[in-house]
Amino acid sequence: MAKNRNRKKRRNPACPRRKQPLRAVLAASLLFQASACLLLAFKGEGIDWTAVALAFSLPALSWFFAKPLCRMLRADPLLVTVTDFLCGLGTVLLYALSPATGLKHAVHFALGVAAFSLCALAVRRIKRWGVLCAAAMPVCAALLLLPVAIGHEINGAKNWIGIPGFGSFQPSELVKIMLAFALAQYFSTLRGVKGMIPGLAFAAVCLGVLMLQKDLGTALLYYLVTLLLFWAASSNVPLTLAGLAGGAGAAVLGYKLFAHVRTRVAIWRNPWSDALGKGYQIVQALTAIASGGLFGVGLGMGESRVIPAYSTDFIFAVLCEQMGLVTGVLVLGLYAIVIIRGAGISLRARSRFAALLAMAATAFLGLQTFVIIGGVIKLIPLTGVTLPFLSAGGTSMISCMGLVGILCGVNAATEDGHDADEQMTAQSAEENR
Amino acid sequence: MKKLRQNLRVVTALLLSLLIVAGTYCFYSVTTCGGRWFATSTNTRLASQKKQVVAGDIADRTGLVLACTVDGKRTYPRYTGLRKAVAHVVGDNRGFVSHGAETFMASYLLGFKASATERAKQLFSGGETRGDDIALTIDAELCAYASSLITPFVGGAVVVINYKTGEILCSTSWPSFDPRNMTAALNASSGEASLLNRATQGMYSPGSTFKIVTMASALSNFSDAQTRLFNCTGRLDVVNTTVTEAGGAVHGQNTLQTAFAKSCNSAFSTLAMELGASRLRWTASDFGFNENFLFSDLIVYNSVFPSGRLSKDQLAWNGIGQGTVQVTPLHMAMIAGAIGNGGNMMEPRLLLSATGAQGNVRALPGARVYKRCCNETVAAAVKDAMIECVQSGTGKQAQIKGYTVAGKTGSAETSDNKSVRTDAWFAGFVDDPEHPLAIAVVLEKGGSGGTVAAPIAQRVLNRAIKMGY
Repeated sequence: MAKNRNRKKRRNPACPRRKQPLRAVLAASLLFQASACLLLAFKGEGIDWTAVALAFSLPALSWFFAKPLCRMLRADPLLVTVTDFLCGLGTVLLYALSPATGLKHAVHFALGVAAFSLCALAVRRIKRWGVLCAAAMPVCAALLLLPVAIGHEINGAKNWIGIPGFGSFQPSELVKIMLAFALAQYFSTLRGVKGMIPGLAFAAVCLGVLMLQKDLGTALLYYLVTLLLFWAASSNVPLTLAGLAGGAGAAVLGYKLFAHVRTRVAIWRNPWSDALGKGYQIVQALTAIASGGLFGVGLGMGESRVIPAYSTDFIFAVLCEQMGLVTGVLVLGLYAIVIIRGAGISLRARSRFAALLAMAATAFLGLQTFVIIGGVIKLIPLTGVTLPFLSAGGTSMISCMGLVGILCGVNAATEDGHDADEQMTAQSAEENR
Repeated sequence: MKKLRQNLRVVTALLLSLLIVAGTYCFYSVTTCGGRWFATSTNTRLASQKKQVVAGDIADRTGLVLACTVDGKRTYPRYTGLRKAVAHVVGDNRGFVSHGAETFMASYLLGFKASATERAKQLFSGGETRGDDIALTIDAELCAYASSLITPFVGGAVVVINYKTGEILCSTSWPSFDPRNMTAALNASSGEASLLNRATQGMYSPGSTFKIVTMASALSNFSDAQTRLFNCTGRLDVVNTTVTEAGGAVHGQNTLQTAFAKSCNSAFSTLAMELGASRLRWTASDFGFNENFLFSDLIVYNSVFPSGRLSKDQLAWNGIGQGTVQVTPLHMAMIAGAIGNGGNMMEPRLLLSATGAQGNVRALPGARVYKRCCNETVAAAVKDAMIECVQSGTGKQAQIKGYTVAGKTGSAETSDNKSVRTDAWFAGFVDDPEHPLAIAVVLEKGGSGGTVAAPIAQRVLNRAIKMGY
């Protein structure tokens, strides 16, 4: 381990030499959040004191997340800084659209930080997941089924549970985290495909329930992550291909059977043919993106509020209109950094379980980003999932931050392991002398 | 563990490549299509901008104002014939005509193209904010003249372009509407579709004018095409269908050129079947069929040559422009122009100039070759055939004294369940470097192209030459 020679100075081995630039990046991110909030505060007539308050509290929260908390949990600083910036950007954007949503997003950000810490600590401290997974799986399946029984329908998908006095809540987002654990647990077995069956069965049950709820986007996400992880863990090409074929078959069958799937595909192929009806949402999104030009019309300007679901699924279109296509593509670059860091953590992990867990979290974040941005820009048919960290929505924020927490927990566990190794080598060296 | 890490790397690469694809697609599609996404009537930003900015004037190439804002109201020319002749090209203030200049060039007219310094200047100079004034490449008088010739028909369109620069000199569609009285246009019977710009959005069967493409395909693929003789007995039996000649004619033995001039169906059906679907489709796509036209100045619907496997019966009909082959009049003019221009199809231009509120002229893209349709030998051979067609063939009525006109007539038969209608076509060009004019005329239910469409083309081209184009 040549990297670890300089032990005393090394705090965060995930990026040992780039500490100084990272501090500048964080400073820039905090400055951006503060100045954007101040801009919003002085935009209208009179001073918006809530925005002024936000101009101080949001950077404070961001700083707390990216500095002390990150250090305490031995998290990957670059990953945390990028996540942090994305959350701040989301808050600013949403506040510009509607102050109430923005404030809520800030609260969700704080809740997300808590979820992050919880997941990071759990992954770092708990060593045996077998029993926990076995116990949690039926609970999760029941949770997922709950909306079918008592939930209500929002935008054609019945995947919400209303809790009086709290708001709506989407179990499928939380089950995502559980699925990551279950897949990692059962796929890390060395007993071949047979040992993987419980994980696959759990994924299959989840998929079935999601299909029942018509939550196509999340179902697609679950399916792809399971398939990717299965291949990575087993290297079993025939079975993976069979799974792929099964998925394709299900897609074709869904297209033939369900009118709403056909509508989605038709809109994707040509939204302009019904620009005021079924294609309205995507047409307005494309118009908004085009209106922004390269550098955008400015924070809080523009008319992206005409897009249905502008604050959740279509936040990318809002981003492109207000801050420009260049910013939009750069934000995609930030998501790429999240993937690269996540993959790095997964590759450094010291056990199969940890590696698979980190990759599951990475794949969830990466695919979710692709599925929704691809849908918004009409690259693939639109399926409603949220854009991690940017979209409004508490459950989504909590689950995405939880996934980042998993990554950072794996990172911390790896570092702990390295430290233990080094201590042992140092001890044995002393004994030998 | 090693194998697992290897697989995890592959998964990472996959995830990253997905994001790269999304980013690239996003950037590419917005930079290429963003303009047309923006300039639609469903864009609420246009309506809001109109409240703050005085929309600029639209003029034709001679400076005749076709739309301007007077006291906050959009006004159009006083002379009704002129107003209706250019109505589709200019469009209307509220965007009922989907791709008129009023909407499609809104980014100029409403000042979205103004730079930050220009905006600042306008702000400090006080007074009302104005968008750009634009000049279109059309000549409104020529449009009015062409329009007056096609008004007796049920429907139709005339397009004249300069085939060396791609500038659209005349584009008119009938039936038309009056932009001053949009309520009447909207309440009119939907059957006549007066808001549809037939020149760019009317999908017609090209009929025999498509033989230009079939001939080009034969010349590029068969070395003996020009020497070969075709025997026409008046009917050609294919598998389940019989191709007959217009008016029951029997053309006898002909070379390819004469068969083209006489518009012999059996010769071209034979060629189409020998070429086969893929080779004919290949040439058709060289001429812009099945292509997503992304012109910067206007929206043109995509022309269609059927895809997939084609039976002999289908091929026999498609080769003479019947069946499911569809084309817009503007595209047909571009095809004829490409033959006149040695095989180079120019990108059509509608925007001549744009001037900012402070008199600064904006830079616009210049003339550009859109496609290389065929090589010069093929273009020259097709041109000779088109000249013969006008001199001694079906297009005699398109002759202009003192000029060489090349052209092809068409009588496209389309049937709904009840009746067969015949659309009259003429596509051609003036073979003269001083007057590089290409034309397409289509007249719905007009009858025979040679007797109905050709004379109209002759008169419009003659007028255009007199005007100095």
